Amino acid sequence: MTNRQTPPAAEIGLFLYGIVPSDVEPTPDAEGIGSPPGEVLAIRQGDLAVLVSEVGLEEPIGRPADLTAYQRLLDSTAAIAPVLPVRFGTVVTGEDAVDDLLNAHHDRFAGALAELADHVQYTVQGRFDEEEFISGLLAQNPPAAALADQVRGRSEVECREERIRLGELIAQAVELRREAENRDLIDAVDRYATANAVRPPSHELDAVNVAFLVAADDEDAFIGAVEDFADRRRELIRMRLLGPLASYDFVSAHQLVE
Amino acid sequence: MTVATATGSQPGSALERSSGAGGGTLADVVETVLDKGVVIDAQVSVAIVGIQLVEINARIVIASVETYLRFAEAVDRLSITPKGAKGLPDMVGDAAGAATKGRTISGLGQAAREITGVVVDSLSDRSPERERSHWHRDEER
Repeated sequence: MTNRQTPPAAEIGLFLYGIVPSDVEPTPDAEGIGSPPGEVLAIRQGDLAVLVSEVGLEEPIGRPADLTAYQRLLDSTAAIAPVLPVRFGTVVTGEDAVDDLLNAHHDRFAGALAELADHVQYTVQGRFDEEEFISGLLAQNPPAAALADQVRGRSEVECREERIRLGELIAQAVELRREAENRDLIDAVDRYATANAVRPPSHELDAVNVAFLVAADDEDAFIGAVEDFADRRRELIRMRLLGPLASYDFVSAHQLVE
Repeated sequence: MTVATATGSQPGSALERSSGAGGGTLADVVETVLDKGVVIDAQVSVAIVGIQLVEINARIVIASVETYLRFAEAVDRLSITPKGAKGLPDMVGDAAGAATKGRTISGLGQAAREITGVVVDSLSDRSPERERSHWHRDEER
């Protein structure tokens, strides 16, 4: 039980990482944000605890090392216990504020943690191979192929209108294909997942971007299904699997905003 | 089916693996964690001293004339021809290989690149003013 008696000095705040069951104990090697890395503590209240570390309020937050430390702590916690990530950058004045937070929302947090128990997140991302995608499109789309013939070898000044029309056709085709690929991915692997969340594309050639909440017992089967999916599309899509992660996409970001 | 347990991929596998726990690139971290997680509203707790919402305001990819021209340029540059009569495969370079860090970052869109730039500035201590600036949310999300 963490029970520091000294009130936090005015210039010290508590950076919140995530909400966990109260039996989670940070190991001494757990490193928080900051330089040198802050010591990670658990502030407990009933069945719940919040993982925190002290930060100087004058310190900038948001260096790459801070983001990485935040994710590392949450992902390694998720490997052993359910965790509700608290949005990066949330700093409160002290333990009293953490107590207030847990008191006010105890049941909601406990319910959310119960749903996440024995689950981790995997994110599946894929990017179309540009040449493969466009050549496939030109083969099936005569208007696009005709525009491509008009564009090739001519400068943008000479054929700007044609270029815009061709590019628009390609962009529309990517969008349609992306919707189809996201659906196909979910069809192919969702039987091994408890929930899924389609993420917005982060690049104009994004093919798939879906987060899955996967139970520990289903992890191997899930990964196998994603590998099979990737193998079937190896010419067209570069596929990546990120995880296991904390359940970033399965915590309602605005569940406290009312 | 063999399954990779760490970052990387099995020989011959079409799936690149990247572990969690900060094992990915900075771009992966940014895309994974930002704008996620429980938001503690000021109405709930007045004791919040600051939420620095490091935000990618252009995570939503919006097709624009710029995008269209870039695609058309790709058709021209890559000599992309209808499937079956392949163009110059060597010119796509890393497109067929594993994503490199630079390529991943370039994929995050303009605003994300700017934010990554700010983060890097903070790291190198070159820009103390910018370190303290808050990044604002984009309400369009």
